[in-house]
Amino acid sequence: MTAAVAVALFILALLDGSFAGFRASVGRTGLINHRQSDYQAARRGAGLLCILLAPAVAAACADILVHPADVDQYTRAGKAMLEVYGPYALLVLIALACYAALNWRLKYLASALILGPFTLVRPVVAILGGALGVTLSNSTAVAAAVGLSVLAVLAVEPLAGCLWYVRNTPGPAA
Amino acid sequence: MAPRPLEITDLLWSVDADGIPLAVSKAAVVDRLTALGQRRAARIVAAMPASAGILDAAYVDALGLRVHCELQRLGEELQLARRIAALLSPIVDMVRLHRPGRVRIVDVGCGLGFVVRAMAASTALGGDVELIGVDLNPFLVAEATRLAGREGLTCRFEQGDAFEPELAIQDGARCIVISSGFVHHLPESGLAEFFAAQARLRIAAFAHWDIAPCLWSTLGAWVFHYARMREPVSRHDGILSARRAYPAAKLQRAAQIGAPGYDIQVMEGSRWHPRALDVLRPIVGILP
Repeated sequence: MTAAVAVALFILALLDGSFAGFRASVGRTGLINHRQSDYQAARRGAGLLCILLAPAVAAACADILVHPADVDQYTRAGKAMLEVYGPYALLVLIALACYAALNWRLKYLASALILGPFTLVRPVVAILGGALGVTLSNSTAVAAAVGLSVLAVLAVEPLAGCLWYVRNTPGPAA
Repeated sequence: MAPRPLEITDLLWSVDADGIPLAVSKAAVVDRLTALGQRRAARIVAAMPASAGILDAAYVDALGLRVHCELQRLGEELQLARRIAALLSPIVDMVRLHRPGRVRIVDVGCGLGFVVRAMAASTALGGDVELIGVDLNPFLVAEATRLAGREGLTCRFEQGDAFEPELAIQDGARCIVISSGFVHHLPESGLAEFFAAQARLRIAAFAHWDIAPCLWSTLGAWVFHYARMREPVSRHDGILSARRAYPAAKLQRAAQIGAPGYDIQVMEGSRWHPRALDVLRPIVGILP
């Protein structure tokens, strides 16, 4: 169960990292054809997420090695986070599927109803899931790992922007 | 009636009669925004670099470019260029039928020329359609030209005033004038003249897309500009543009005064339902 929860959370984080990388790159160059750079940005976002998530994963692994009994605390926190992130991710994936499947005239509905508003509330959802996990775990080490994970997820988009795109964007950032 | 609030980007550039950029006083812009009660906008401008009281032109140009790149991203998400091409396609066919030769589409106030470049990239309207973008800002025109060249697109850009479209129009009967997200930048007193400037050239048709003002578009503008935009100026101006946009009746009246011989229609649905798809709707005028 613990492994399944960890893998599910990691997949969600990886997807979120890809989308965050994509968002960091779009609207920078003014070019019409930017599909290749979109894919590259998504790969960069996923890679950056893995790097940023490493401290949280390392901290959790070290804690479990030292205190094997704490694994239940991690599982409880992870399940709580999945209860928040799962429905959010499901709706986003459905909206993306609609975006891909719909006629071009209707594609924007997926953005207008789900993708746009959900991007706006994403930080709140990330923090909410983390807070719920921390609350239910009742462990400082788990709280630290969860906190680091949430920070990692939220840092991908601004960091990707700074690392790869600000210097290709005209002029100094406002 | 209270004066219309101003977008920051309306105040950051100024050109003389020859199209040469003029120095812009930071204090004058800040004072103007403050006088209108736009304190947040005034704070954004107050934080911009200036030398001897004059806004740093290089900074402002680069900012303008970033704002337009972000705006293009929203246009892409909205499938704006495809929507425009889809509406123009039968009009272009009609012009071809009545007047053999190349049809010209002129996008006034084109900014970075996203719509023109996207239509050039898609060739949705056919290879015999000339695509020209016109904007008052020489920096944006140069950048639009550079971007089109970089992607090998068959379109061109010229510096010019939307009130003097003759710069890009030789044969009005084979020309369609368009714009997107531009009309709300015009003062209400200039609306009729904007349409009249096109009608005087006896252009075949005009189609100007702008935000349909209502609760839904204001709410949508707020959500999307906070979710998608990075620049504070983009967010401020984007949200304000939904509030500043002209209602259909006002546009229709101005077009009827300015272009009396045209069949004019504002193509929008009921204001009471969410306009998820027709966020930008056109006013279309066709010369019978």
